[in-house]
Amino acid sequence: MSDRFIRWCTSAAGITILLSILLAVYATLDRGPYILVNTAITGGMLALVAIGLALLLGVMNVASFVHGEYFMMGTLVAYYVFTPLQNYLNANPSQTLAMVAPIIAILAAAATGAGAGALTEIMVFAPMRRRSRENWVMNSFLLTVGLAVLLINGHLLIFGADFKGIVRYWSGAPVTIMDVFISRDRLFAFLISILVILVFWIFMRTTRIGRAIRAVSQDETGALMVGINLSGILIFTMALGCALAAVAGASLLFLYPSYPTVGLEALYMAWFIVILVGLGNIIGALIGGFMVALLKVVTVEYIGSGWDFVVPTALIILVLIFKPSGIFGSGVRGVLDK
Amino acid sequence: MLLEVKNLNAGYGFLQILRDVSIHIDVGEYVCIVGPNGAGKSTTMKTIAGLITPTSGQILFKGEPIHGIGGHQVTRKGIAFVSEEMNLFTNMSVQENLLMGAYILEDKGLIKRRLDYIYDLFPRLSERKNQLAGTMSGGERKMLAIGRGLMSNPSLLMVDEPSFGLAPQLTASVFESLDTLVKKGLTVLLVEQNVTKTLSVTHRGYVLENGRIGLAGKSSDLACDPHVRKVFLGV
Repeated sequence: MSDRFIRWCTSAAGITILLSILLAVYATLDRGPYILVNTAITGGMLALVAIGLALLLGVMNVASFVHGEYFMMGTLVAYYVFTPLQNYLNANPSQTLAMVAPIIAILAAAATGAGAGALTEIMVFAPMRRRSRENWVMNSFLLTVGLAVLLINGHLLIFGADFKGIVRYWSGAPVTIMDVFISRDRLFAFLISILVILVFWIFMRTTRIGRAIRAVSQDETGALMVGINLSGILIFTMALGCALAAVAGASLLFLYPSYPTVGLEALYMAWFIVILVGLGNIIGALIGGFMVALLKVVTVEYIGSGWDFVVPTALIILVLIFKPSGIFGSGVRGVLDK
Repeated sequence: MLLEVKNLNAGYGFLQILRDVSIHIDVGEYVCIVGPNGAGKSTTMKTIAGLITPTSGQILFKGEPIHGIGGHQVTRKGIAFVSEEMNLFTNMSVQENLLMGAYILEDKGLIKRRLDYIYDLFPRLSERKNQLAGTMSGGERKMLAIGRGLMSNPSLLMVDEPSFGLAPQLTASVFESLDTLVKKGLTVLLVEQNVTKTLSVTHRGYVLENGRIGLAGKSSDLACDPHVRKVFLGV
C-alpha cells in the first residue's frame, strides 16, 4: 500500500495534486481562508463546464469550440426567466417563491441547454457523421467554431449587445465561514455545482444509460454489437454535456451578466482544464477544475488581476511540451476511467 | 430456416466486395465460410450484423428482413456477432463487459443465469472477473468476446476468425468451446482461415472467392474437393 502511494506521489498526477495542495495551504496561511473559498466556488463551476467538454471529447470525439455558447445560453435563459419572477416578487413578496425562483431559472436553463445540445447533434453532427467519418476530428472542430460564431451573432442580433444581468439570486445577509463573508449566491453556486457533479457521477456509474455512454466512449462498434442505440446515446450525451454548461452559466449569472461573448472565458478555461488533465478524462476534468481555479485565484492574489489567463496558458504550453497526453492521461481513455 | 441471405451485394463506398452472395442456415447447424484473404468473409458477417448497409439483396432472419435496420436492432433480433478485433470495452472489467453484453435483456433473473452459464463455460473468466478487459491475454480476450456475445441469449452466434493471433493450443480450446455450444443446440456461423481445422469440425461450408460463393456443401465433401484442396490446402 505505501509502495503504491509513493509511486503515485512521483507520478505526474501525484506531483501536480500534491503541489496544488501545498500551494493552497501556503496561500491560505499567507493571505487568509478566502483563497480556499474563492477556489471552491470558481472550481465547482469550471469543473461543470470542463466535464461537459470532456464528455463530448471522450464519447463523440468532438473538439467542441461551441461549448461556451451553451454557457451563454444558460445565462440568457436564466436572465429572461428570473427577471419577470423578480418583478412579480417585488409586487407580491413571498418567502417561498423567493427561495424557489432562482432554482426555476437554473432548471429552465438546464432544460434549454439540453434541448439545444440535442438539436445540435441531430441537425449538425448526425448528418455529417452519415456523410463521412473521414477527417472527423478536424471537420467537427471547424463546424463547432462556425456554430459558435453563428450563436454569438445570433445573440447580438436578437437580444442586443448590452449586459443583461441581475443583482442577486438569493437575498439575505452573507454567510460566515472560517471568518470569511460569503454572499448567499456564491455559497449556492458552490452547492449547486457539487450537487450536479454528484448526481452526474451516480448517473454515469449506476444507470443503464450511463453505462452505455461509457461503453460508447470505449468502443463504438462494440457498443452497436451489444445492442446499444448509438444515435440515441450520442444525442443524449450531447444534451447532457450542454446542460452542464448551461447550469454553470445560469448559476453564475450574478457574476457574469449575459452578453454575446460571455461564454468565451468559460470555454477557454474549460479547454485549459481538459488539455491540462488529458482529453476526454472526466475524473481529471473534475480535479483539474479546482486546480485551475486555484491557479487563477492565486495568480490574481499575488501577481494581479489580468494575469489570470497568462499563467494557466503558460502552464498549458509546458504541459504540451513535456506531457502531451495531459497530467492524468496516458493515451486515449474512456470517459470515466482513472 | 433461421437465416437466409439472398443475392447480397455490399461494399465500402465505391468498392464493391460482395457479389450476389446467397447463404442459408438452419436451426442448430454449425456452418463455416472459408476463403482466401480479401474474399469478403468478414464483410459478409459485418453486413449480416448490420454494421454495413448492403447495396442490394435481402437478409431474412426467422423470416423477417433485417437488412438496413441498424446494428443495434440486429442484436435485439437475436444475432450475436463476435468480430475479429473483438471490440471489447477495454477499460471495463470482465464482469462489466459481460453485463454490457446483456444490455438488451430486461429480465434480471435471466441476466444472472446467462452470467453463471458463461462463467461455467469459461471458468477462466470467472477467475478474472474484476480484471480490466484490456489487460488480459489474447486467448482470454477471445473467450470474453464470445462470452459477451452469448450474454444476449442469441439464436445465432457469428464468430469471425476465432483463431486469429492465438497460439495453437489456445485455438484448440476456443474451437472446443464452440463445439460445446453447438452440442448444446446453438446455431453458429464461423469465418476462419484455418481451413483444415474448420472443415473438420463444422457441418456445412461455403467457399467464398472474390466476393462470390464458389462452392457450397457438406464440410467433409468440401475437404475432399480437388479445387479446395489445391487452392487452400496446397495439395
